[in-house]
Amino acid sequence: METASQTASRTIDFKAAARELLPPGASYDACLSCGLCSAGCPASGLEGMDPRRFIRMAMLDMNEELSTTAWIWTCTQCQRCKYICPMSIDVSVLVGLARGAWPSEKKPRGIVRSCEAQLRFPGTSAMGLQEEDFVEAVEEGVTAVRRQSDRFARLEAPIDKQGAYFFVNQNSREPATEPEEMGPLWKIFEYVGADWTYSSKGWAAENFCMFTGDDEAWRRMVEQRVDAVNHLGCKVWLNTECGHSFYTLWKGVERFGLKADFEAGSLVSYYARWIREGRLPVNAEWNTQGIKFTVQDPCQLVRKSLGDTMADDLRFVARTLVGEANFIDMAPSRSANYCCGGGGGFLQAGMKELRWAYGKRKFDQIATTQADYVLTPCHNCHSQIEDLGQHFQGHYRVVHLWTLICLSLGILGADERKYLGPDLARLGL
Amino acid sequence: MIKQPRHHRAELLVIGSGLAGMAASLFALDRGVEVALVGNTGAIAFTTGYLDLLGYDGKGLVHDPWQALARLREDEPRHPLGNVAEDDIRDAFTRFTRALTEMGLGYAAPGPRNVLALTPAGTLKPTLSLPLTMQPALAAMARGLDTLVVDFIGLNGFSARELVANLAPRWPGLRTQRIGFPDMDSGAEVYAEVLARALEVPATRQRLAERIRPLLGSAKALGLPAILGVHRPDHVHRELQSLLGVPVFEIPTMPPAVPGVRLRELFETRLPQRGVALEPQHKVKRLELLPQGITARLEDPYGEVTIEAAAAVLATGRFTSGGLSADSDRIRETLANLAVVQPEGRAAWHRADYFDPRGHGINRAGVTVDERWRPLDAAGKPAHPRLFAAGSLLAHQDWIRQRCGAGLAIATAYKAVDAALARG
Amino acid sequence: MRATRHGGVLETEALIIGGGATGTGVMRDLALRGIHCILIDRRDLNAGASGGNHGLLHSGARYAVGDPDTAAECRREGDILKAVAPECIDACGGLFVAVEGDDPEYAERFSEHCRTAGIECTTVTPAEARELEPCLSEKVFAAYRVPDATVDPFRITLENVNHAQQLTQSLFLAHTELERFVVDDGTVRSAICRDTRTGETITIRARQVVNAAGAWAMRVARLAGCSGVELLYSKGTLIISNARIGRRVINRLRRPGDGDILVPGGTVSLLGTTSETVQSLDDVHPTVAEVDRLVAEGVAMVPQIAHTRFIRAFSGVRPLLMAAGADADGRKASRGFSLFDHESDGLANFATVAGGKLTTFRLMAEKTGDLVARRLGNSEPCKTASTPLPSADAIRWTEPGFAPRYWAARREPGDLIVCECEMVPASAIDSIVENAPGADSQMSLNAIAVRSRVGKGTCQGAFCSLRLTSHLYDRQVYDSPAGLRHTRDFVAQRFKGVAPVAWGEHLPQLELAEALHCGLLGLDHLAEDT
Repeated sequence: METASQTASRTIDFKAAARELLPPGASYDACLSCGLCSAGCPASGLEGMDPRRFIRMAMLDMNEELSTTAWIWTCTQCQRCKYICPMSIDVSVLVGLARGAWPSEKKPRGIVRSCEAQLRFPGTSAMGLQEEDFVEAVEEGVTAVRRQSDRFARLEAPIDKQGAYFFVNQNSREPATEPEEMGPLWKIFEYVGADWTYSSKGWAAENFCMFTGDDEAWRRMVEQRVDAVNHLGCKVWLNTECGHSFYTLWKGVERFGLKADFEAGSLVSYYARWIREGRLPVNAEWNTQGIKFTVQDPCQLVRKSLGDTMADDLRFVARTLVGEANFIDMAPSRSANYCCGGGGGFLQAGMKELRWAYGKRKFDQIATTQADYVLTPCHNCHSQIEDLGQHFQGHYRVVHLWTLICLSLGILGADERKYLGPDLARLGL
Repeated sequence: MIKQPRHHRAELLVIGSGLAGMAASLFALDRGVEVALVGNTGAIAFTTGYLDLLGYDGKGLVHDPWQALARLREDEPRHPLGNVAEDDIRDAFTRFTRALTEMGLGYAAPGPRNVLALTPAGTLKPTLSLPLTMQPALAAMARGLDTLVVDFIGLNGFSARELVANLAPRWPGLRTQRIGFPDMDSGAEVYAEVLARALEVPATRQRLAERIRPLLGSAKALGLPAILGVHRPDHVHRELQSLLGVPVFEIPTMPPAVPGVRLRELFETRLPQRGVALEPQHKVKRLELLPQGITARLEDPYGEVTIEAAAAVLATGRFTSGGLSADSDRIRETLANLAVVQPEGRAAWHRADYFDPRGHGINRAGVTVDERWRPLDAAGKPAHPRLFAAGSLLAHQDWIRQRCGAGLAIATAYKAVDAALARG
Repeated sequence: MRATRHGGVLETEALIIGGGATGTGVMRDLALRGIHCILIDRRDLNAGASGGNHGLLHSGARYAVGDPDTAAECRREGDILKAVAPECIDACGGLFVAVEGDDPEYAERFSEHCRTAGIECTTVTPAEARELEPCLSEKVFAAYRVPDATVDPFRITLENVNHAQQLTQSLFLAHTELERFVVDDGTVRSAICRDTRTGETITIRARQVVNAAGAWAMRVARLAGCSGVELLYSKGTLIISNARIGRRVINRLRRPGDGDILVPGGTVSLLGTTSETVQSLDDVHPTVAEVDRLVAEGVAMVPQIAHTRFIRAFSGVRPLLMAAGADADGRKASRGFSLFDHESDGLANFATVAGGKLTTFRLMAEKTGDLVARRLGNSEPCKTASTPLPSADAIRWTEPGFAPRYWAARREPGDLIVCECEMVPASAIDSIVENAPGADSQMSLNAIAVRSRVGKGTCQGAFCSLRLTSHLYDRQVYDSPAGLRHTRDFVAQRFKGVAPVAWGEHLPQLELAEALHCGLLGLDHLAEDT
């Protein structure tokens, strides 16, 4: 698989690759050229490309062009093309292949640097946070939370607890830039009496290596984390409110044939379960102002992974939290929802204009709901949707579920309100 | 990794999420039945949005489909529509259009006669029920109203000039104008679906109206390609009419088009709300016909999903939708190994002339059913006591040439569900 | 330059009948000698064998064993064309492969015969052959490399006409059918023709008349009262795959039979051919039986053909000269050509050039041009062997893969793509309608398709017919219901080629096409009782 030249993209035979990688009847040969994929893809028109064109160019042997087009960095591999297609053709598989063929120094720097950072230390953090830093951030955070109230005076955030039921990962953004945002989730665990742990090795959630198209790096990333879970003997790997971290792990386990003696679970599913079981008695009584919320379906969690079941759990949690009348769904929604453009490394790729163009559809979706807040269990969605709001001058904010859960339970700390607007910032204090 | 396989149980499994599958699900819900629906968008994606009952028969253009159906019973006794009583067809069609309307996609109630509705080429198509967003065209045309047809820079394949050049003989008051859509007028390609989504935003409607208003002149009506929203087309339609002060009508476009997206998204959203267990955009990989019932297995990205049901309605469509497939010589039904009535050998599948008025032999191939709508196996027996079939998968009809697709889907789904839920 | 039509009378030095490679080749040959020509065809360019062949520029190897003279001729002409029209040619090379069951002696004699004919022929081992072409069967036991190439016959024809138009303002008139000649005193005075679209009569007075009507040459000769042109009509059917298979031409190393050649055509491959004598030139269409035979034979050389999606079948009629004692199998009739001066028929200014093959069109035109020029008292020599064929914007679009590369290089977002499958942009259509040879004010979709790749890709016109029609109305090339009739004609024409290969993955395409053309547009009920 080696490059002749380090500065030129390796040229792939896309037509042959499609035959090899896609299932029969759902490969490029089956394409009817109907354009449903293009009409439904937010990356259509960027770099003059769209999914239908990508297929056509592959069939026309335009391998040079496909091996060098920057469009592959605007396609977030959200798989909406496959979802919509009457033949279920997944155009994004070859986008991933194309990414891997680019020489490292030509790939978007931000994505490559993040992956390199992740491979550097056993913590696997993209923001260069080493285990000691992480442990320290957690310890400080715990101290801060314990001081909030008697209720949490003995709160723990275990690290490396052997045999804990849940292995919880942590997106680097919180410990690196906003450690107080870790508190809400700890309090939720405490509230429901969950037996959980972090791990010092392989603690981070994000996985930029998949976005670089470097299978080897992706594999190493996932192996580190799987080893960590296996090592601690946890039953459930509980994925934090982050989309791609869920997908990259279970997909990686499958793709690379790794041995993983645990279930992959999403925090969202567990919120839903705990609410249904009465262990998390949230309700919408706090929402006296009738503030309106909508929900963003992270592609990596919904369409690409657990499907509408996850979307349903997400909505159940959201509706319970904000009140039926205050929840306005986007259209389209659930597995049919549009990618926001935050994933696939788009946020780190430095292609701002393209990313905003991509995200305009998402912005319009939100604008149509007239929601004041967008709830999303995904860090990339969170960042992108916020950024879109700023760029297109929207009137909404973006919050994680844990923030609202704690708000509803009356346990949200004063400094855990960074993403709440003035309408909610003082609520319950 | 320990993955949790998913299981559903349902009283009725509907296989196929086209018109027949959607109709079957609705009819079953009306009867309070637990329904599971599985399917992947097929031909429904390419619909104009019109709901046809019967547009052409052996004599030509059909003006009164009810009368023509009576003739059909005589002339084509094996035609599936001929095997549904007129009252049932009326009931099914009415319920279906009412259900769509209640769910937010307004449709005209089926009337006593076909109407001639617009195509993007400016030809006319006989149909029974139109979306409300397309209806105003009928009155405008009947009255020969001074009408402006607007098309858009970059909307490939939709030409108002084409429409008017072909309609002008019967509608002299038509005029055209091309404009740019707000924020999408650079000349680059635009898609109807993207314009439609944008029109869901009130501010975009305002801006579009601002561009159109000065062009209206003496026009008493406005025609647009079908871009009036995806999620709430009736609302978008009303709002735009109110902004412009004239009746507005949509005209279907070539694929990739909006009406099919509206239907798919409507059902994907509403059916689960009404309790249908929906596996959207997945096809059944394996169907097991067992003594105790019918089991469908499919795979989503996360693993295997199994659905067990007491009965099932197979509404998997034809070649585009994957219900039928063919090698170089033989046509097969793809899931349950059902017998497929077909012309012998590929040479008999198509006639020499594309537009031969007799239609092509392959179009009438398909699955046959007994009087209880149960598809037959190779031995001529029902493949399973509780397996039923509906829609374009059925033999002895040519939905494309006869313009009977919607009627076929809705009426046979109605009967199939009836049969599926019948006791004894 | 648009062909101008005025009813009434047209005058020229040379009237050429037949818009295929030969006819247009004669037109250009004469124009290079300064002679004004009018070329007519009852349909359009390449409506006969020139538009229904493999596109193979023979190395000649195929004839080496049976017909060494033809083989040598092919080699020479192939070299000339590669030099003067390189943009029309893909010098991809070829392989001859023998598969288990084929005659080993034939395989052995092959290289010797190639040498005799002067054709470069290199022996390769089966393993080497499979390395060159991984699609080859494991059952290959002998293989040779030869300098086969492929040619775009549409581009050749268009360039011929374009050059002639430039040189002497020669005219090409499409849809102009010869009805009769006016002959007087051993001279063809004029040709009475009819515009098949309008019914209008056109009289063409020419000093010399050339019958280059291909398979119709016998008919045309008889109209002039000549009975010596005897043709055997050999129908050949080919099928086109959705995507290109292999890099080179792959030939079966055996006595010529069905399904012997797999030719790359830019972005697709063509598998052919069959050979069946037919009596009539009307209604020649590919049949299911022919298609199945091709697949069955092709699989022996290239196993993946069993799973290949084919998008189109087409048939052409080879006009073969009947030699005395020729038998019924067209394959054994001569592939050579003949030039009839018709002096023995009592005519001084009529000539017929018949038979031959695409590869040798230039030579056929040279011989014909020499005769016609001499009769005109023109002493200019033939210049086609050394004068490059110039190209032009409006005639570049038939080359497979050109439009996509053009688009990729330009990236002009406002230039919408009309044919998605072949990525033909609107600007190409505009250029063709404005400037291509044979363009006129009511240009049909079929005519545009002949001059481009529109409708030749996967969807076979299902979608692009709609976009193209809309574009033509937008540009006001069409402004009445007549435009939709062109749409109908186009898709009906496409259908004839799709139906015989409509199985497997291609069947949904055809079903969808019918849903669009009938269900959406109502083309099956145009201008009826609505």
